Amino acid sequence: MLRKGITESFGAAIHSVSAAQLTDGVINRSKRMILDTLGVGLLGTRSAVFNKALAHSQFMSEERSSVWGKSDITLPPYYAAFVNGIAVHSMDFDDTWHPATHPSGAVLPALLALAETPPGRTSGLDLLLAFNVGIEVQGRLMRFSREAHNIPERFHPPSVVGVMGSAAASAKLLGLSPEQCCHALAIAASSAGAPLANAATQTKPLHIGNAARQGLEAAQLAQIGLEGNPAILDMDRGFGVYYKDYSPTAMLPDSASGGFKWILEEQDVAVKRLPAHLGMHWVVDAALAARGKLEKMVGSVALSQIQHITLRVPPSKYIDCPLPATEHQARHSFQFSACSALLDNKVTVASYGEDQINRPALRELLSKVTVETPEDNRPSFDEMYCEVEIETDQGQIHTARCDTFYGHWRKPLSDKDLVDKFSVNASSVLCTKGVEGVIEVIGDIEALSECSVLGSYLRMASSPHEQLYSMRYL
Amino acid sequence: MISTLQKTIRPMWAVRRLHKSAIQVLKHPVPEDTVTASFGKFISEIKPQHLSPIVLGRSKRMVMDSIGVGLIGSTTEVFELALQHCKYMYAPDEISSVYGRRGTRLSPTLAAFVNGVATHSMDFDDTWHPATHPSGAVLPAVLALSDMLPSNNKPSGLELLLAFNVGIEIQGRLMRFSNEACNIPKRFHPPSVVGTMGSAAACARLLSLDHSQCSHALAIAASLSGAPMANAATQSKPLHIANASRLGLEAALLASRGLEASPLVLDTVPGVAGFNAFYEDYVPQALESPNDGGHIFLLEEQDMGFKRFPAHLGMHWVADAAASVHELLVGVGPGTVSPAQVQDIQLRIPKSKYINRPYPESEHEARHSFQFNACSALLDGEVTVQSFTPAAMSRPELLALLSRVHVEHPDDNPANFNLMYGEVEVTLVGGDILKGRCDTFYGHWRNPLTNESLTKKFRNNAGTVLPLEQVERLIDVVEELDRIGDCRALLSQLQ
Repeated sequence: MLRKGITESFGAAIHSVSAAQLTDGVINRSKRMILDTLGVGLLGTRSAVFNKALAHSQFMSEERSSVWGKSDITLPPYYAAFVNGIAVHSMDFDDTWHPATHPSGAVLPALLALAETPPGRTSGLDLLLAFNVGIEVQGRLMRFSREAHNIPERFHPPSVVGVMGSAAASAKLLGLSPEQCCHALAIAASSAGAPLANAATQTKPLHIGNAARQGLEAAQLAQIGLEGNPAILDMDRGFGVYYKDYSPTAMLPDSASGGFKWILEEQDVAVKRLPAHLGMHWVVDAALAARGKLEKMVGSVALSQIQHITLRVPPSKYIDCPLPATEHQARHSFQFSACSALLDNKVTVASYGEDQINRPALRELLSKVTVETPEDNRPSFDEMYCEVEIETDQGQIHTARCDTFYGHWRKPLSDKDLVDKFSVNASSVLCTKGVEGVIEVIGDIEALSECSVLGSYLRMASSPHEQLYSMRYL
Repeated sequence: MISTLQKTIRPMWAVRRLHKSAIQVLKHPVPEDTVTASFGKFISEIKPQHLSPIVLGRSKRMVMDSIGVGLIGSTTEVFELALQHCKYMYAPDEISSVYGRRGTRLSPTLAAFVNGVATHSMDFDDTWHPATHPSGAVLPAVLALSDMLPSNNKPSGLELLLAFNVGIEIQGRLMRFSNEACNIPKRFHPPSVVGTMGSAAACARLLSLDHSQCSHALAIAASLSGAPMANAATQSKPLHIANASRLGLEAALLASRGLEASPLVLDTVPGVAGFNAFYEDYVPQALESPNDGGHIFLLEEQDMGFKRFPAHLGMHWVADAAASVHELLVGVGPGTVSPAQVQDIQLRIPKSKYINRPYPESEHEARHSFQFNACSALLDGEVTVQSFTPAAMSRPELLALLSRVHVEHPDDNPANFNLMYGEVEVTLVGGDILKGRCDTFYGHWRNPLTNESLTKKFRNNAGTVLPLEQVERLIDVVEELDRIGDCRALLSQLQ
């Protein structure tokens, strides 16, 4: 089925949208996203998966773009985008949108890498605009399909729409013509689509890393004249191959105001408080509340009192993991998150460390959990809830339910808490000057004349000695 | 998955009673009893002695053809574009050879990339059944990797050939997991799905990774697979092969550094798609260990198709059919065919949108046009490399013929390279009707190119960029590949 002109409309829109069309709402929200993404990325440079990817990429010597949190390593932009993207998603700590994807990690690393390549001269506003183009295109593409609205089963969404967002954003930053923007999207489409099976494994972060680098490369190839199918979004056997139902629409300026209707204006992202799959945030809040009820009744909670735990969650196989063996599985386990909350009365970054996962007390609690998937609990981040029910050895029942966790788009983090999350994360690898520098630069990014200062702050790593001791808990 | 296991174990139950704890093991299969693990084991355990003479012979023909089309492909615009990109967007890293460019070397994954582009740039590379282009995804990667390995540990020719065959075999096995794969594709371009996996497998073999790492290499590669058909018949199509090669190599390198991915990527897990994300129907089968003896490579049973001219495989049927009509026409009249003689041309072809193009506008589209290839062969008696030049494509006689073509999709002509046919029926101005039909073109696996024909194709291709003596040396080296102690004898002749 060939509908005419959709891809063309995308190419034209990416090419012509201007900074003047950025609304205040969009500017504020996207700056928050940028700050959060940098923070989780900096923290993520301490992960094993990041270090493997870095070693792999360094095999290609020299050159140009910053690796976040490293003062003495630069890489070709393609590989900088790759490793920084991996860092951002390494701990599943990055933002989540509705329909479901992790939009920023696929886009920001590519843009920052590109901004550092010659001829340079990227202003803060250029960066902000390109960033929003990358987010917007992802949002648009996900609305082409009903399938995209639910927690995924087949392809991991960042690998489908993320690479398209990165290509669009990079094309914008490079100032490509409308036709070149179309070709960038087409070339990127041939790199889309990673199966969900690699979620909850060490390879999941590569989905974001690959999206960032392959989108960047698609734009670079389009810039030097490579052509793909100029109707890539129009065709079922184009971008439509990634979805069972596919109904694309054109990207047109708002006929009434001549302005541009940004999806981000109407639909905010969720920012995570925990480095775990979004679904975990509901179950943790519910578990903590249920524990609170138990504590109120019995004074102090002893785990031997807990006979049985029932979780009522939406159906989704890849986050239903009764006995996680790795940190990646733990971040994708309703059971683990609930039991951590019950055991420690809090869940933090440190809760997902290997040493925490294997605690006997935790394993014991895990053996007492059953999971139910009630009919009314839909596998959608916009509609789901989590209920935790504790049954004591005395036969008492304490239940709590979470419909909207703090950090969800319906209940966004305050600016203060967002900046706090960034500070804690960034301080794990940057010195204070770097941390504060980034906050200041992003806070006023519209006024920034040249982005290179951002890169220099991201490279202000604290000494290894200091890093060893920066183990603050969220 | 569990029922499959039980099916294979049942005969044993009949023979002797199993220990009770073993029965419990069956109910909860150990991770090692998965399809994914069986593939990992196969790749790590396969040895040169498992290659039969037929497989050796056929795979050496594939290696030679692949290098040849890669060499001529290095003269194309898309290759030049890809090479410039790699040279300027990345840091200089003089390690792996670029086909046909003396003195140009790139980092291994980028060399695999550009050589992959070259191989598929003209749609001149080999095609298998079920449909994919297997060699272009694998050979550039194993060559690039060989250049990367330390000089005191270069693979022998036989080790290179073994890795190559592993890459082909894995692709064949994966395609047999799905009925959808047996037909001309509609959704994902097969090289982008199985090619990446083949490249990862071949490189894992060459790196001698252990079975767990081989498994992870496949899983990492799965996250790098999958490109839509819409980019076929465009300038980007060659990148599907190029990326398959490069990313499969990357997957193996990442696995060698310890990166881990899903241990169930080839298995079926309800609610969480693995490799089956790329197929509508999917029934995976474990690979038996080669050490049990009796493993037969698919290449032994299913030979390769080689192209005589640079166009989609389907074109070869109508070209041969139209060529026979050309013979009839030339036989009765003057030495050339003129559009003035022709009233109508009817093509009977399988139904496949991306190769049905009445008026192709680019060389890429022309290589994917039944109509174009039929008319070229009708006019010239054959289709060659030159048929796709701008001059040839814009000939008024050709355009005149194109305007007289009608297309039919008979029910008995399925979109399947093992079953299709091509029929060309020309109605002359006088009312006479001439008909040509091709069931199996020369070069198809049922009617393979002779060694002479294949070598002639190679000489024509390689000769466009290499001096004659070097062309002959390459022919000799590939012929002796399984007996060569150091693969540098091959690597040194590629540019």
